[in-house]
Amino acid sequence: MASPSPYPPGVTKEQAISMAQMEMEYRVELFNKLAQTCFHKCVDKKYKEAELNMGENSCIDRCVSKYWQVNGMVGQLLSAGKPPM
Amino acid sequence: MDANMMAGFDGLPDEDRAIMSSMIEQLQLRDSLRMYNSLVERCFVDCVDSFTRKSLQKQEETCVMRCAEKFLKHTMRVGMRFAELNQNASTQD
Repeated sequence: MASPSPYPPGVTKEQAISMAQMEMEYRVELFNKLAQTCFHKCVDKKYKEAELNMGENSCIDRCVSKYWQVNGMVGQLLSAGKPPM
Repeated sequence: MDANMMAGFDGLPDEDRAIMSSMIEQLQLRDSLRMYNSLVERCFVDCVDSFTRKSLQKQEETCVMRCAEKFLKHTMRVGMRFAELNQNASTQD
């Protein structure tokens, strides 16, 4: 009667939607923390001008890259401690 | 940041995609409001330090304008890099 479920076996639609929502919220928070942290690390609070200068631009790019690496490392570390699903 | 959020939902029935899409919209709206508040707080904290008058002084106004503009430009740049990293990560599998 029903068409085959597009979700992995054992996962209901409600569960899939809830997981997707959590994933999206996680991603939004990751982005926000990343933006705040790199602003704090790279931008001079005296606000001498409205533009980002070259130094700040490079710092931002590198900061984002490093933050991403740390994110990956911590992710691996956390998942290594768990039993395989 | 949000360009590829719908990308993983291609194989789903329309109704489910509509649910996901509306969830994304909600998330984005909530995030915009949160960003508004945090930008105000940040620029106030960084730019306003004297309370001898009720109105902002000229230099405080200038500082706030620069702060806000700078932060928005910064956020856009971070968004670009974030999207690049996301894409590289998903094409590595």
